[in-house]
Amino acid sequence: MTIRSDEAAATLADIENVVAKVKQSRLYRKAALVIILWGFVDLARDLMIGLEPEWFGPRWFLVDLVGVAGTLALLCYRATLAGRFPLRILAAFALFYAFGWIWSHLIGRFGPREEMAFWPTLFLFGYSLAGLWFGAAFAAIGLGLAALVVAGYLWTGEAFILWQAAVTGFGFIACGLWMRRG
Amino acid sequence: MDAPDDVIHQPIRLRVMAALTALGPDEEGLDFSRLKSLTGATDGNLGAHLDHLARAGYVEVTKAFVARRPRTTVKASPAGRAAFARHVAFLKAIIAGA
Repeated sequence: MTIRSDEAAATLADIENVVAKVKQSRLYRKAALVIILWGFVDLARDLMIGLEPEWFGPRWFLVDLVGVAGTLALLCYRATLAGRFPLRILAAFALFYAFGWIWSHLIGRFGPREEMAFWPTLFLFGYSLAGLWFGAAFAAIGLGLAALVVAGYLWTGEAFILWQAAVTGFGFIACGLWMRRG
Repeated sequence: MDAPDDVIHQPIRLRVMAALTALGPDEEGLDFSRLKSLTGATDGNLGAHLDHLARAGYVEVTKAFVARRPRTTVKASPAGRAAFARHVAFLKAIIAGA
């Protein structure tokens, strides 16, 4: 069997294409668990705020702490398999959080409704940025859900908290399940 | 190496090996349906090519029941990884020599 150089180049391109798809699929599967976890966290938090606003309104961060602990547990579990901790991912989340805290508490004067819209959109734009490097699914999730959050902020009135529970809660869970299938 | 690996060079088998070797040796492997979507092959066609690769000792095929459903998982063997690396080196040598 003889192979011409153009055939060899086409074959190598085919190999690279398959390898890229497998790597992207692995990345999606890894990210999916964290996305599903935050879907449940968002759903629980927003439903609790909606049902018990007096008690839970000022204490919403308690549920988020469960999400942070769960995310760290997942990252640590992966670190034991991969042999190294994904410090850059953790640092990226910490930087996003620091940026959000500075703007929502120090510089900006956000009311509860603005804060409820600000935090999800901040992290969803982070997903959109990640999509530029790691795959269109991240960008689609980020931009799609951010648009729904903004629409809810503008037009859902008193039902905004329930809208948030549905959009970020069920939205993240559905997106995570879809990414796991990939 | 001055000849291609005839087992690997066939397009479907080449894609199967590319997909399986993209995973680390300690990873689980890929299931049949994922390989089907990556290669664009039909069930019967992919099954025949996997048999061919398994007979050459290039892949290990594991069949199990997960949640009462049959699941076929395929993993590259060390011999398959080495053969695929040699085949890729051969292709690169053709381009370099052109």
